[in-house]
Amino acid sequence: MKHIINSYENINDTARNNSDCPRVVLPEEIFFTISIAGVLENLIVLLAVFKNKNLQAPMYFFICSLAISDMLGSLYKILENILIILRNTGYLKPRGSFETTADDIIDSLFVLSLLGSIFSLSVIAADRYITIFHALRYHSIVTVRRTVVVLAVIWTFCTASGIAIVIFSHHVPTVITFTSLFPLMLVFILCLYVHMFLLARSHTRKISTLPRTNMKGAITLTILLGVFIFCWAPFVLHVLLMTFCPSNPYCACYMSLFQVNGMLIMCNAVIDPFIYAFRSPELRDAFTKMVFCS
Amino acid sequence: MKMSAQRLISNRTSQQSASNSDYTWEYEYYEIGPVSFEGLKAHKYSIVIGFWVGLAVFVIFMFFVLTLLTKTGAPHQDNAESSEKRFRMNSFVSDFGRPLEPDKVFSRQGNEESRSLFHCYINEVERLDRAKTCHQTTALDSDVQLQEAIRSSGQPEEELNRLMKFDIPNFVNTDQNSFGEDDLLISEPPIVLETKPLSQTSHKDLD
Repeated sequence: MKHIINSYENINDTARNNSDCPRVVLPEEIFFTISIAGVLENLIVLLAVFKNKNLQAPMYFFICSLAISDMLGSLYKILENILIILRNTGYLKPRGSFETTADDIIDSLFVLSLLGSIFSLSVIAADRYITIFHALRYHSIVTVRRTVVVLAVIWTFCTASGIAIVIFSHHVPTVITFTSLFPLMLVFILCLYVHMFLLARSHTRKISTLPRTNMKGAITLTILLGVFIFCWAPFVLHVLLMTFCPSNPYCACYMSLFQVNGMLIMCNAVIDPFIYAFRSPELRDAFTKMVFCS
Repeated sequence: MKMSAQRLISNRTSQQSASNSDYTWEYEYYEIGPVSFEGLKAHKYSIVIGFWVGLAVFVIFMFFVLTLLTKTGAPHQDNAESSEKRFRMNSFVSDFGRPLEPDKVFSRQGNEESRSLFHCYINEVERLDRAKTCHQTTALDSDVQLQEAIRSSGQPEEELNRLMKFDIPNFVNTDQNSFGEDDLLISEPPIVLETKPLSQTSHKDLD
């Protein structure tokens, strides 16, 4: 994937026209700060669930899976920064075998984190859907054992896909498969949540007249889906443009904003705990207990 | 696409001997050709602007669709409600261990209950007291009570079942001590039996 992600960066500046789109460079400190914040937040979520017996339920296992994938994404950025620093200070031989292997491993970490995020969000939506529409049979459908099996299958698939995508990243079908996962999953989640929302709306219509409750639901849904779309879509479009029109000037101008798009993915890792994990008061209580009693 | 892939590979072999650059980020092996910016018809950032505007429009459109869905079809609260409905609402509310207030019965408590249920499913339990109400067993008798409590007159059976299923709070926590609720649940069935003929008559009335 590296060539897709980074190939614009190796362009010789003198070969470029003066009116081109200059690459937007963000200071590395920003990336470092956001990545570390992402790692810490998601680590807190994992610790809170791990230490608290009350929270060892399927719903929280899915949230943990999301936290793990966000943490991997932030770790990827930290490792990449470390590699760059090592390379710039001369400890690492440029383009040596160690560096290329490390590059590939880090790339597969990134793809793993991305796929893990996608599948975790899908499975969280499916779990909430089952909670509402099959409420009576929820505990027979979603058992802890099945949760563990589903998560194991998802992560095995993501690991294998991550390695395969990095190995075969030169081929166009790989890129198409990779980028088509995003809209597919978006449509899936959209359908589930809108269906849940419609049912909630018809229920509250019978109970009360105040639209405030439904407004809050609409806002929540918009935040959930909007954050996901805003954080992932720019990067997915970057990958598509890099594959299909690398020398088009319009595409090149879009791709000059790559670091901004990458930062949005880091921000997603920071925002996700707030909109998934910390919405649950039990998890918030476990967190405050952990922080203030230790 | 094949051409660009081949060009990438050929550039790779020629790049091996290139000197190390001063770029901070540079440690890859492919180079795309120089991009010419001559003769652009539209603004050079048009894809960027178009993409972000399109994204914002999509999200705002989605939000407006959702809020429109909330506003359409909300029936006005009828003050002259039947007392049977109030009574059923009381029994529904009492399932969750809340005190009964007959004078303010429907609008406030019903609203709070619906809000609690709604938040239960969408926001994953906003507050701890609502979390307590959600930690209920999905016993069959509570199922029946809720079915009687929430009337949905004139609706087909499957939608009634769907609503009934939705109404059942589902965040069951096995560690939770719910002695109070269990007592309420056990004591509830007689009320349900009494409301059954009433609900059926009111069902016919509302048709």
